[in-house]
Amino acid sequence: MREFIILYRKELKGYFTSPFGWVVLAFASVMSGLSLSTAMKGFTDNAIADTLVYAAFHTPHFWFSFLFLFPLITMKLFSEEERLGTIETLFTAPVTTGQVVLSKYAAAVTFYILLWVPSLFQFLAFDWITSIPAPYDQGSLIGSYSIIFLMGLYFTAIGCLASSLTSSQIIAGIVTIGILLLHYFLGYVTFIWGNDFAAAGVFYQISSQLHLDEFSRGVISSPPFVYYLSMTAFVLFITHHHVDHRRWKK
Amino acid sequence: MIHVQQLSKRFGRHQAVDGISFDVSEGEIVGFLGPNGAGKTTTLRMLTGYLPPTSGNASINGFDVFKQSVKARRSIGYMPEDVPLYREMTVKEYLTFRAKLKGVKGRAVRSQVNQTISECGLSDRRRKPIATLSKGYRQRVGLADALVHRPELLILDEPTNGLDPNQIIAIRKLIQELAKKHTILLSTHILSEVEMICSKVVIIDQGKIKACDTPSNLVQGMRHAGRIQFEVKADPIQVRKKLSALTEIKKVLHGGKQAGWEQFEIIVDSGTETRERLSNLAAQERWPVKTLYRHEGRLEDVFVELTRRD
Ligand SMILES: Nc1ncnc2c1ncn2[C@@H]1O[C@H](COP(=O)(O)OP(=O)(O)OP(=O)(O)O)[C@@H](O)[C@H]1O
Ligand SMILES: [Mg+2]
Repeated sequence: MREFIILYRKELKGYFTSPFGWVVLAFASVMSGLSLSTAMKGFTDNAIADTLVYAAFHTPHFWFSFLFLFPLITMKLFSEEERLGTIETLFTAPVTTGQVVLSKYAAAVTFYILLWVPSLFQFLAFDWITSIPAPYDQGSLIGSYSIIFLMGLYFTAIGCLASSLTSSQIIAGIVTIGILLLHYFLGYVTFIWGNDFAAAGVFYQISSQLHLDEFSRGVISSPPFVYYLSMTAFVLFITHHHVDHRRWKK
Repeated sequence: MIHVQQLSKRFGRHQAVDGISFDVSEGEIVGFLGPNGAGKTTTLRMLTGYLPPTSGNASINGFDVFKQSVKARRSIGYMPEDVPLYREMTVKEYLTFRAKLKGVKGRAVRSQVNQTISECGLSDRRRKPIATLSKGYRQRVGLADALVHRPELLILDEPTNGLDPNQIIAIRKLIQELAKKHTILLSTHILSEVEMICSKVVIIDQGKIKACDTPSNLVQGMRHAGRIQFEVKADPIQVRKKLSALTEIKKVLHGGKQAGWEQFEIIVDSGTETRERLSNLAAQERWPVKTLYRHEGRLEDVFVELTRRD
């Protein structure tokens, strides 16, 4: 546990000691600001029955900027250690592979959560600045941020795995975005082919678009929790195995 | 302290380390020598738990480096060959992080980091980002990292590589100082360094151990098998013929003619004294002799003798 905390703090600090982390933070807050203003513009242009939160998470550029966060956050985690050779000093210190993998993952998730603080703040600031009650309810706010958190857990784990596969940050980033785009398009399968085929149910279950749609309306259900948490655990398990195996392979 | 038994490492079809066994007991300073590609780094990496052995085993402080890796690693301070460092951290940040990670707690962190910084001559660079340091200074940071948690065992892969002569002397002194309380296994290509500081030498070549003894014993063995320089005025063919007829002579090398004197180098068997017989021979044949000199053996000769590929 001690080693985990030391590693975690070092990783998290790493995001803020390089300009890179601040650029990502700026990118995320600009994008969420843009989403909010797009949503607000939608409200002024014509009457919409949705809440402001729902609209802000359904702007055309939401998925684009959202999915790009993950390679940016995770690509360095392992590939940088491999490239610099610091993986040797890291793994000759008395630490376990589990501590290393979990600390890196936890730091990435923490940074990811921090990226959403500006956007949450923007929603809360809405009534302070406009002095009209914000057009959203508690449920949609909680729902949206829950699903954002759940997706973040899973997608960050994917980035973590990709980073452990290669010593090149760029390749790690490309692999991450590739997997996330694939996952995203699988979520559209039922939109394209309808739902009268056998596997349609599966595609419903894994569609992040549908999850976001429901949760941002305030309809919170448990299957997405199960899906994201178990996938996260699975991907982290593979990452652990991969990192450990490379040290033990003949 | 270190117990290595039939340790082997194979990379694909290449046998980098081939069944080596040796022991290092507490308080020893052991020099690990060998030509490039001999398998030194690979062996040290297996001992520190970074690479898994293909077969055989090794233990540190009684803990198996493979099965009880974390426990074994606790007593090691390791400085890898190419000294990988986190470049964006400052020297002090880095050493503090490493000290904590390797189990130093509370107030001791600060005092040990400061002490190590001054021991390694880093005081005036402590606030510099590592990326801005020169190679020699990065080398010192690597050494400081190995020392910072005061491990029982130091494993150093070419610690003085890239340092200036002053610093080499300083680091050597530091190593000798540390040797009072620590056990040290270091690999190096600087043989004079080994003669100066090591109490034991392991010479490895092509993954196999060629010798394992104290430096003075190795040199002693070599001294008897010495090299004799012989300068005479005579027909070289005749000289060669007569010399080769003597017993206990391994090889006669003719080095050409210099200002009328024929140059010979004579390699003799170990444990024999040949100079008397040579001078008698010269007197008998009436050869004028200019030089009859036996070279003092050095560790370098031992090294070359053991690892030479003819
Ligand atoms: N990761 C690896 N994959 C394949 N071969 C390797 C690997 N690491 C080392 N080798 C090979 O193993 C052999 C021993 O290498 P090693 O680095 O242990 O030599 P060394 O004694 O440290 O040499 P040097 O004095 O140059 O540092 C070399 O032939 C090298 O090419
Ligand atoms: Mg080496």
